[in-house]
Amino acid sequence: MDQIEHLEHTESPANMKKQIINTFIILTILTIVDIALYFILLSSHSMAKNILFVFLGIVKAFYIVSVFMHMKFERKFLVWIIVGPMLFVSFLIWLALTEADYTFDSRLF
Amino acid sequence: MANSATLTTDSKQTWGGGKSPFSVSYGKLMMWIFLLSDAFTFSSLLVAYGFVRFTFTGSLPNTIVKPFSHLSHNFVEEMQKAGMFVTERWPSPELVFNHFPFLHGIHLPLMFVSLMTFILIFSSVTMVLAVEAGHRMAKKEVENYMILTIIGGAAFLGCQAWEWSNFITEGASLQNNPFGPTAFAALFFIVTGFHGTHVLSGVIINIVIYFNVVNGTYEKRGHYEMVEKVGLYWHFVDLVWVFVFTFFYLI
Repeated sequence: MDQIEHLEHTESPANMKKQIINTFIILTILTIVDIALYFILLSSHSMAKNILFVFLGIVKAFYIVSVFMHMKFERKFLVWIIVGPMLFVSFLIWLALTEADYTFDSRLF
Repeated sequence: MANSATLTTDSKQTWGGGKSPFSVSYGKLMMWIFLLSDAFTFSSLLVAYGFVRFTFTGSLPNTIVKPFSHLSHNFVEEMQKAGMFVTERWPSPELVFNHFPFLHGIHLPLMFVSLMTFILIFSSVTMVLAVEAGHRMAKKEVENYMILTIIGGAAFLGCQAWEWSNFITEGASLQNNPFGPTAFAALFFIVTGFHGTHVLSGVIINIVIYFNVVNGTYEKRGHYEMVEKVGLYWHFVDLVWVFVFTFFYLI
């Protein structure tokens, strides 16, 4: 039991506080960029714009998960347990979005 | 077989038993698995949103209202007459979410929801600082950061309540939507409501953890791992908001 207790504490680097502040700054800048891009691209309705916003969301998610949630310091196996299934979810999202417009007629009520 | 010699060689291997193969505790691993299942729930809601959203192939009408311009009292009716809010087309979010508390009658598209995003990011940062202080066994610091996190969460909930009441006052409900397709309002209430429920439960758990920290429960236990586990949940809530913000307001 003592052995397990000892392993529980994930190694945290000495400059953790600096990393947290850096991540905070990155997240703030990305959010400001998000809002600025929204107004710059307001009159455009291209798919590229949607992909850009989803990409920025994924970048933010990467920083939250890797630094705030300590994922960066976990074992690779644990990372894949969590990230692996989410790859299938993104496949489902892609399927739903590409098939959606075929049901438009049934929605006009 | 089960003599002491084999046991000691086995435990040196990753899956030999006697230690966590993931180098995390049982509770933390289960928190990760729970968050994965919760991510599935939110993904299904966002997939449903995307599916309904993309059935409306007609593009969004271009904006006709300039930011900071005056908002009339019958703004919604004007937009309906102008063909911006029709059931065949998904409305432009900047025309729907354009109010700000105490600044009545000014067109401020997405400003309030941006503020909410910053509040949630900020409370996420204070949470991770509490976890970091917990690693150093700094009880006082953990207390202070937990308090800031709870305030951030409560502020976010207050903002969401204000946004909901504003949306409801304008006539939106699960069955009715003056801004366009009924599904728009229904999905808004379901997805932000489900996220808000998560924030509410997160704030309650944070309060419980705060009192445990004050009472010195984790000081006696020798580690602040419980703060870490709650932190994981709290960051997950922030993570979901990133995508709710992207899908509902930006796209």
